[in-house]
Amino acid sequence: MRIPVPLKLAVLAILTTAFYTYVGQMVPQKMVEAPQVVEIAEDVSTAEMVEIGKTIFEGKGMCSTCHTIGKTGALRFPDLAGIATRAAQEREGLSALDYLVESLYEPEAYIVPGFNAGMPAIGKPPIGLTDQEILTVLAYLQSLGGTPEVTMETRHTYYGTD
Amino acid sequence: MNSPAVKIVLGLLVGIVLLAGTAKLVSYLIETEYRSPSAPRGTAESTPRQQGLADEEAAADQAARERTYEEETYRAFPIIGSRVVVWVLAQLHLLFAAFVLAVPIFAFIIEAIGYFSGDPRYDKLAYEFTKLLSVSFSLTATFGAFMTFMLVILYPQFMNYLFHVFSPTFLPYVLLFFAEAFFLYTYYYGWGKFHPLVHLGLGLGLNLVGTAIMFIANAWLTFMTSPAGVAESGALISTWEAVTNYTWMPINVHRIIANVAFGGSVAAAYAAYKFLSADSDEERAHYDWMGYIGNFVAIIAFLPLPFAGYWLAKEIYAFNQALGIQMMGGAFSWLFIIQAVLIGNLFLGANYYLWLGMGRIPGSERFQSYIKYLLIAIAACFAIWATPRSILATVSEVRAMGGSSHPALGFLGVMSAKNTAVNILILSTFVSFLLYRRGGRIPTVAWAKAGNFLQFAIFAGASSYVIYLGLKGYLVDAATRIGYSVPQVGSVLIAMVAITIIDLFLLRGSRAVGETAWGKISPISQYVLIFIAVTFTWLMGLMGYVRSGLRQHWHVYGVVRDMSPDAFTPTLGFATQVVSVTVLIFFALIGFVFWLVSLGDKGKWRPKSERVGPERAEAA
Repeated sequence: MRIPVPLKLAVLAILTTAFYTYVGQMVPQKMVEAPQVVEIAEDVSTAEMVEIGKTIFEGKGMCSTCHTIGKTGALRFPDLAGIATRAAQEREGLSALDYLVESLYEPEAYIVPGFNAGMPAIGKPPIGLTDQEILTVLAYLQSLGGTPEVTMETRHTYYGTD
Repeated sequence: MNSPAVKIVLGLLVGIVLLAGTAKLVSYLIETEYRSPSAPRGTAESTPRQQGLADEEAAADQAARERTYEEETYRAFPIIGSRVVVWVLAQLHLLFAAFVLAVPIFAFIIEAIGYFSGDPRYDKLAYEFTKLLSVSFSLTATFGAFMTFMLVILYPQFMNYLFHVFSPTFLPYVLLFFAEAFFLYTYYYGWGKFHPLVHLGLGLGLNLVGTAIMFIANAWLTFMTSPAGVAESGALISTWEAVTNYTWMPINVHRIIANVAFGGSVAAAYAAYKFLSADSDEERAHYDWMGYIGNFVAIIAFLPLPFAGYWLAKEIYAFNQALGIQMMGGAFSWLFIIQAVLIGNLFLGANYYLWLGMGRIPGSERFQSYIKYLLIAIAACFAIWATPRSILATVSEVRAMGGSSHPALGFLGVMSAKNTAVNILILSTFVSFLLYRRGGRIPTVAWAKAGNFLQFAIFAGASSYVIYLGLKGYLVDAATRIGYSVPQVGSVLIAMVAITIIDLFLLRGSRAVGETAWGKISPISQYVLIFIAVTFTWLMGLMGYVRSGLRQHWHVYGVVRDMSPDAFTPTLGFATQVVSVTVLIFFALIGFVFWLVSLGDKGKWRPKSERVGPERAEAA
């Protein structure tokens, strides 16, 4: 029996697409949810802020997309291990907290030597963290090689500016 | 009684009887519904159920009258959801649009070659390509209108925002669309009716207008990824700045090249279908040639496509580093492994077709021994390109490897290795083309030996330089390593241009070993052409997804947030399923286009009694 050409071609098209669909099922399957505003109570302790800040750092804040912690070698963005200690010496005239705050709200103001500009202001879209969420990220950054000091009552130059 | 016609009639009768029986039963059950014995006179027909329904309707009517007007933010599409319906329609619109924009480009070039060379075969070929356009143009417009309606219905507020930014571009778009229809139909129906130069002028107009339409539409979609010309609040500052956003020109260039590659592959698929259905050697020879030209166009356009892709990626990084990193290292990084599988298959398919095609060229046997080396190089590059940086592994496997990267193969998963692999892949395919081109000819120029040596030296030099930079990339910092992709790409481009120029002069006045036996090629080659077309289409679907999906939970990145239930990024598995469905719908429709175009080759219908010989046998 002679199989009609259109039928053969249809089978070939279906098999080819089926193969690529199969390849698509073989790779890791990850569904990314849209980030939600993190509800933070006013009375959370600094230790709890560190935990919340870590979650934001790795998730909604997208910080870990670019920054590493404890990695050496050819890096595209500064590694953040020990940043709590380094922050005090990084920029003359700025305290460790002020330096971290400026890095988050106005990252283009100072670029760490050896690296290129490229970090977005995380208080603005597309990341768009709230001032409260940024306070928790600050607590987490202070915990990297230091002792976190910020509380939910901490107010800095950029607070409430967005 | 056993006749199929009797069975069909009986089946229909039984069906009608069953349907009538069911209707009667339902009617009986409704008629015998319980009615209150104490119902007042004149309301005896009203059952409690009917009363309940009437009350419900009245309440709904009252509620509708009291409701205040509120602008809808989103509306939902049933079952498959708003995103999927817009996704499929947009992709189908784009596939047909790409085809309609691409075919006139190479039809115009082929027609011009025919006019200036005086060879009527080229004119016939250009006309044959153009025949595919008319129906495809209608389908493009239909899907465009369908998609627009769906967007306005399902995403009214977001579309209102796009109208706010881009309203000045809509009138030129519509006017250009009219001009496109004018040029397309005049070009098609005016074939052979005007002076060739006038006709070529129509073809040029068609291409210019088509490209302008695409540029306008590209402004809308690129703005969504890399918005410009608007304030942080989204308020419009400048429409022109919104049009000329970061990714607009890279997408324009990328799409022109990709459209030509895609259009060539679909036209080659049409030729393959005609070749496989052909009844005579003459037809087979013609469609073999047409398939070769279509594939040639596709591959020539395909070779520089990765470079256009680099530029686009660079602009995405320049617009927003986080967006670029998200694309290459975040949620979409594995998509590029799927892309590598597709592109690897395209290269393998294209080379295999060329090697099969060498069988119809007398004298090409002398190059057969090189093919195995090319195959090894292509297969090795394909494998490197498709190697992921981190692999899926169990906890014990991760422990054994000391991380999610394989201790040895993990080194092949980084950009240094992948950039090197893709550049060597391009160079190897270029060599296949060169061997094919050289197959039936022997250079007669005095400097032939030196010319060959020079070509080989350029090829070897470029390959070595690409590999050297690839290896050096492992030893330098990231910024320097990223910078290496430019000289890698540059050396490959320079090598291809230089070798082609030498080849043109080398083959001037060359001796032909024999005539190419068009049509004398294995039918497998035609299935390869279909495979290439399906793969190209699938690749376009996949890359369309990443271009759009990259925005994640934003309609306009960083400006208008997606608050709909579809604001999540689906899994790659789901995305590939949608792409596959879209590709199959496209091929069902393009098959319809092929069939419609083929009808033109058939004779007019005549009653059975008037048919003679083979015509009667075919009808039987």
